Amino acid sequence: MIRIGGLAKGFGAPGRRVLAVRDASFEATDGCITGLLGPNGAGKTTTLRILAGLIAPDAGRLQVDEIDVHRQPQAALARMGVLSDARGLYPRLSARENIVYHGELHGMDRDAAHARAEALAELLDLRPLLERRTEGFSQGERMKTALARALVHDPKHIVLDEPTNGLDVVATRALRESLRWLRTPAGGAKCIVFSTHIMPEVERLCDSVVVLAGGRTVAQGSVAELLARTRSDDFEEAFVRLAYAGTETRA
Amino acid sequence: MSGPGWGRAARVVFAKEIVDALRDRRTLLVVLLSSVLLGPLVLVALSGLVASLEARAEQREVWLAGADRAPTLVNFLQRQTYRVQEAPADHEAALRAGRFADPVVRIPADFEARLAAGEVPVLVVVGDSGNRRSEAASGRVQRLLQGFARERAALALALRGVAPELVEPLRIEEHDLASSAVRGAQFTAMLPFFVLMAVLYGALNAALDSTAGERERGSLEPLLMNPAPRSALVAGKWGAVACVGMLIAVLSCFSFIPAQWLLRSDTLAALFQYGPREVLLFLVVLLPFAAAIAAMLMAVAIRCRTHKEAQANTTVVVLTVSLLPLVSIFNLGAEAPWQRWVPALAQNLLMTRVLRGEDIGVAQWLVPFGVCVLLTVAALAFVARVLRHVAVR
Repeated sequence: MIRIGGLAKGFGAPGRRVLAVRDASFEATDGCITGLLGPNGAGKTTTLRILAGLIAPDAGRLQVDEIDVHRQPQAALARMGVLSDARGLYPRLSARENIVYHGELHGMDRDAAHARAEALAELLDLRPLLERRTEGFSQGERMKTALARALVHDPKHIVLDEPTNGLDVVATRALRESLRWLRTPAGGAKCIVFSTHIMPEVERLCDSVVVLAGGRTVAQGSVAELLARTRSDDFEEAFVRLAYAGTETRA
Repeated sequence: MSGPGWGRAARVVFAKEIVDALRDRRTLLVVLLSSVLLGPLVLVALSGLVASLEARAEQREVWLAGADRAPTLVNFLQRQTYRVQEAPADHEAALRAGRFADPVVRIPADFEARLAAGEVPVLVVVGDSGNRRSEAASGRVQRLLQGFARERAALALALRGVAPELVEPLRIEEHDLASSAVRGAQFTAMLPFFVLMAVLYGALNAALDSTAGERERGSLEPLLMNPAPRSALVAGKWGAVACVGMLIAVLSCFSFIPAQWLLRSDTLAALFQYGPREVLLFLVVLLPFAAAIAAMLMAVAIRCRTHKEAQANTTVVVLTVSLLPLVSIFNLGAEAPWQRWVPALAQNLLMTRVLRGEDIGVAQWLVPFGVCVLLTVAALAFVARVLRHVAVR
C-alpha cells in the first residue's frame, strides 16, 4: 500500500520558483496496478522521485505500508523496487553482475541474489543475456536488465517511471504480461505504480488510474469510472477533458 | 529486510568498483605503462647523459683547429697526457647541429710568433652553450689552456729570477661538503615528482568513473535508491579508487629497483642509493597521499555531470600537484616549515630527503600524514553530502 497526500515540491531560487508538484494525492493498493497518467510536465517523474526518497518534498505525506518515506527512507526503500527514468547500467559488468550488485546492496546474501537474478531472467526473458556485458545492449535489453535490477529484492511495492519508453511491441507486451502476473496472488500480489502518457497501456493494464495535471491530482478511479465521470466512451477523450479542463480554469 | 549493514554495503561497493576498474583494460594499461615506466626511463636516460660526460672526461683528448701552427701548445697538452686531434674544417656547423660534442680550440696563424714575441696571441674556444655536452667539456678545455698560460708565465718569470709565488699568491683547493648521496640526489631530484604524478594519474580515471561517470551513465540514481547508507557507498568507492592509486604507488616505487640495474653510469649507480629501505619510506609517504588525492579527485568530480566536464575540472588538482614541487626548486635548499603542511609539496620534500639519505624526525612524518587524513575525511564528507543532491538530473 502506497499513500501520498498533499505532496508539493518547487525548484529554483525563491523569486523564480517553479512548482513541479502542487497537490498530488493518491493511494495505490496491494494486488493492483495503479497508473499515473498525465501530460508532459505534469509532475509524474518528480512525484515518483520524491516517493523514492531522492528529493525531499516541500510539503505532504508519503507512506509505504505504515512507513513514512521522509522519516525512514531506508526502511521505505527496502520495501520498494523503483525503476526511475535514469536506468543506467555498468557497461563493464554483465547483466547478472549488475543485478546481483543491487541485490547485495539491498542486504541479500550473494547466493540468494544470484538465484533471484536467474529467476528474474526467466520471468523477463533475459536468460541469453545474463552473462553478457551490458555494453552494447539494445534499448529493450537495457530496460529489462534495469527492471530485473529494480525487482531483485522481491519488493512488495513496484514503482516504474514510463517503463515502456523505447520498447518495441513484443517487449512491451512481455512487460505487460510480467506486471499482470506480479499483481496476482501467485506473483506476490504486488502494489504496482507506473507512470505513463500512453493511453492504450493504461486501458489494458490499470486497475486504477490517477490523472495528474499541472502538479495536481485531478482524478482517481478505474478506467470505467473515469469514462462515466466524463460521459465519454473514448478513454483518450476522457483523459483530455480531465487533464486539460483544470488548466483552463486555473489560467 | 531493511538493507545491508554499513560494513557489508561498503565491501560490496568496493568489490564492484575494483572489478569495474580492473576491467577497464585499455585505460589501466595506458596508466601502468606511462606512469610506471616513465620514471625508470628518465633515470636511464639521465644515466646515459652522465655516462657520456664521464666518457668524454676520461677520453682525455683535445680538438684543435690548426694544431701544426702551435707546436708549443701541442707539446704542453701531450705532456698532460692529452691526445691532440685535428678538428674537422666544418666544426662550427657540426657543433651547432649537435653532431659534434667537443669544444674546438681555434689557433691563429701567427700563434707561435706572437707567443715568442710576448704579444699575447688569442685562442678561441668554439663551443655551443646550447649543446649541454659541449658546455660541460668547454670548462675543462679552458682550465687546460689556463694551465698552459700559467706554465708560460712561470717560465718567463723564472728566467728573470722572479719567484712564481709573486704572480700566484694563493692556491685554490676544492673541498666539496656534499655527501655522495646528496650529489646523487641532484640527479634524481625529479624522481619524487614522477612518482607523485604516477599516483595522481593512477587514481584519476577510477575517481572520475566512480563519480561523474556514474552520473553520466544514469546509474547513480538507481544506486541511491538502495537502502544502503550513503556514507557506506562513498567509503566503498573511495576505498577502490585509493587502492588503485596505492597499487600504482607500490608498482612505481618498486620499478626503480630493476631500473637501477640499467644504470649505465657507474658514478650515478654509486650515488643513487635506492633499496628496500627507500621503497618502504617512499610508501610511508605515498600511501596516505594516494588516499587523500583519491578523495579530493572524487570531491571535484562528483559535481560534474559528465566524464569530460570532470576531466576539465580535475585539471586544477593535476596542475596543483605538478606545480607545487616547483616551490622547492625556486627557493633552493631553504626548506620553510610551512611547506610541510602543503600536500604534494610535503611529500616531494620528504621523498627528496629520503633519497639524500637524511634522517627524518617523527614530526616531519606526522604533519603530512595528518594533513592527508584531514583532507580525506573532509573530501569524503563533502562527497557524501552532495551525493543525493547531484544524483537527480
